Amino acid sequence: MSQDGHNVGFELQPSALSPVTRDDMTLMVAGQGGDGSLTIIGLLSNVLLGRGYHVYRTSNIASRIKGGHAAAFMRASTVPRSHLGDLIDLVIAFDAEAVHKACDRLAEGCVVIFDSSRGTLPPGLVPDSALLVPIPFSRLAVRDLRRDLFKNSLGFGLTGRILGLPDAEVEQCLRKRFSKLTEEQILPNILALRAGQGFAERAGLSGDRSIYSMPAQERAEERIFISGNHATAFGFMAAGGRFFAGYPITPATSVMDWLGRHFPAVGGISMQAEDELAAINMAIGASLAGVRAMTASSGPGIALMQESIGHAGSAEIPLVIVDCQRAGPSTGMPTKPEQSDINMLTRGGNGDYPHIVLAPGNPSECFEYAALATNVSQLAQCPVIIALDAICHDSFTVSRFDLDKVEVNPGKRLTAEQVESMESYRRYELTEDGISPWAIPGTPQGMNLVTGNERNEWGRVSTEPAVRVAMMDKRARKLKSVKEHLPAACEWGDTQSRIGLLATGILQGVITEALGRLESEGLAFHCHRPRTLWPLPQETVEFVNAHDYVYVVEQNSGAQLAGLLKSEGANAGRIRNILKYDGLQFTAHELVAAILKQERLR
Amino acid sequence: MTQTYEPARPIWCAGCGHFGVQGAIQHAMAAANLELHETLVLAGIGCSGTVQNNIGAYGYHAMHGRVMPTAIGAALANPELTVIAVGGDGDGYAIGGGHLMHSMKRNPNLLHVVMNNGVYGLTKGQDSPTREAPRAAPEEEPLDAMMLGLSIPGSTFLARAITTRSDQLHDLMVQGLRHVQSGRGMAFVEVLSPCVTYNDTYPDWMNRIHDVDTDPDYRNDDRGLAFSRTLELLGESRMPVGLIYQGAHRTLQQALVSKVAPAQSLGEEHAVAARSYMDRVLSSYAI
Repeated sequence: MSQDGHNVGFELQPSALSPVTRDDMTLMVAGQGGDGSLTIIGLLSNVLLGRGYHVYRTSNIASRIKGGHAAAFMRASTVPRSHLGDLIDLVIAFDAEAVHKACDRLAEGCVVIFDSSRGTLPPGLVPDSALLVPIPFSRLAVRDLRRDLFKNSLGFGLTGRILGLPDAEVEQCLRKRFSKLTEEQILPNILALRAGQGFAERAGLSGDRSIYSMPAQERAEERIFISGNHATAFGFMAAGGRFFAGYPITPATSVMDWLGRHFPAVGGISMQAEDELAAINMAIGASLAGVRAMTASSGPGIALMQESIGHAGSAEIPLVIVDCQRAGPSTGMPTKPEQSDINMLTRGGNGDYPHIVLAPGNPSECFEYAALATNVSQLAQCPVIIALDAICHDSFTVSRFDLDKVEVNPGKRLTAEQVESMESYRRYELTEDGISPWAIPGTPQGMNLVTGNERNEWGRVSTEPAVRVAMMDKRARKLKSVKEHLPAACEWGDTQSRIGLLATGILQGVITEALGRLESEGLAFHCHRPRTLWPLPQETVEFVNAHDYVYVVEQNSGAQLAGLLKSEGANAGRIRNILKYDGLQFTAHELVAAILKQERLR
Repeated sequence: MTQTYEPARPIWCAGCGHFGVQGAIQHAMAAANLELHETLVLAGIGCSGTVQNNIGAYGYHAMHGRVMPTAIGAALANPELTVIAVGGDGDGYAIGGGHLMHSMKRNPNLLHVVMNNGVYGLTKGQDSPTREAPRAAPEEEPLDAMMLGLSIPGSTFLARAITTRSDQLHDLMVQGLRHVQSGRGMAFVEVLSPCVTYNDTYPDWMNRIHDVDTDPDYRNDDRGLAFSRTLELLGESRMPVGLIYQGAHRTLQQALVSKVAPAQSLGEEHAVAARSYMDRVLSSYAI
């Protein structure tokens, strides 16, 4: 491998270098799809996770990167974050377009590593304060290693030196990543890595001489790094979920993939159906036969499933439905996050039927609520929806899940012995709590009829007015009976403040970061996040009505969460909307600006 | 004995073919010594979608058009259960048409019975996909589910009966259930079951049937020959009845890499194995 002659115009002044210690870095890697942006972000996050940082990682979210462009982002910080920093501190750009897309979000003094194989950057694109590192990754990789793809390892090596990461940790991380390859296959990557490091060396970056310094952090608790979709699938499996059927749709597909990978080992079945109608009805069929079942989709697929969700509610069939919300309407922006299915999830379907909507805000809650949904759907014999937002595809560091805390609650499932000892068995027996004992097919003497038509206690279709009213009321009672199991809202911030801030899902993190900055503007807020969206907890309505006014922050254009609050009794005059629907996640800066703007108008 | 629901009396019009179909299903269940509690009868929406109320087994009233995916889910969830999915031609070939071909492609172990009368009875006489010379679009040719089935490589049992020939209907239903119970996959039995109220095709269909069971030249074990002969018969305006095709193909249950283990019946041993696997999965996310 040639060590000389790389005349690429990257000049540092090593004498002037003193590493800046960072406790919070936002990084972006972008290029054409296939350039390996995700690979590099994956490698960098693994090194920083190993150094004890909290990491938030996301991809596909930069709405401004279209066409063949792909971008991956991460934020490494000493406090947990669930969103990106306001500005980007380090960019690895595989082409000029990537720099164009990033240029209005670049931090002062940022580092821009640019693949100059295909030409130089137009002047003035990056701030004067930025350190521009043009390096012909692609050309070097092809010339010295014969394969373009080795440019990732090369870029990783260089970036490691810029961030002041020890070479040994960087190399170990690369080896771990490629651990399934033979030593012979790994070798070119190692050579590429060293070429990147050599390149940095010649520019004066070595050992304690780096641009940034990210020292290893103490780590008190055991942590995992996981996405919302994986955590949700895991929670379902842990609570005895053993049947899944789905249909591929962004961004829900990874739920199906995950269960398809792990179910065989625990005796579960994951089916890919011909459409969403088949998917949810396969799950209904499995549940009818007594197996804990789930389906997952995104807005367009959930819209198709609405009739079936109502059917499960009417026929009293337990079912877990995951909605990985994306920007609508219609096909919308499949890879962009939104919280715009709230209306559909809380009010969708024909007729009135019992159902529950949970909204986790981090992977720990995804796991916990998926397990809870699995159990509560059995307890209440009704559909339970898990509404995910950007959390579905984003990964972040959380405490290791506690499998010991997961229970498998059979609810009112009858054993064969119990059925045998009964004088009579009515599938839809009217009970005080609205929940009828349940004998599954195969149970001797427990034969019953299950239907979405109105029916009497025996399951025989009936339109008798008195029967109809009794059955509607019975089903409605079920929600009251399981209410105590549903997650309460969480509150934080200044409990004395007369101003409220209310949001759901993943937004808690960005609100928390914004709070600190608003405090320095002399503003304090009392924050509230409902974690059950349906039935909406009374405490959430009371929160709105107990404050002078409340900012309701949500990612949709129709103020759907605010609408839900009003319809459930919140005083409309107290609600102020902060809406975002451009397909991007809130940054703390944006949120602060939006709040200050409204505060100053007062 | 625990008292359970009392089977309903059929709601069908006097002379409806569906009585005969229900009788054939019950005959096949009896011939197979099936207990009512071991059987799940699912039916869709329509006149046919009431049969589950009349039998006394576990019954499920599926959503309109969705009886096949629901039946597949149930059959996968409990392989011990005998699953009988029933529907009409509107339920099975119109609103649920998409599921039919995928069901045959998968070849799950279940019996699928379609009562074909060429008409929507419950909504009072609209054309179904199998209606000949539909009033709204007389130039449209009816769908033929046997031809559809023959064109799908995963199909393993395709039969058509007519309610006026009850011996053959019973025999085909028995054979179909045997196909399922011997683990060979999905048995699809379409029964020509005329609607006396809205589409009384008794005389017409009786005159046009061609019994392939008694046709010495018909080969029901060769998909290509069965296809060309069935196509030929349809071209002659004949209605082939009998065992149209029976073959072998991997079933959905065989294709799946795992057997489902219902949460409540997880044995101690299984639960421990699942737990240790889950611990390993969790560790794969550890930092």
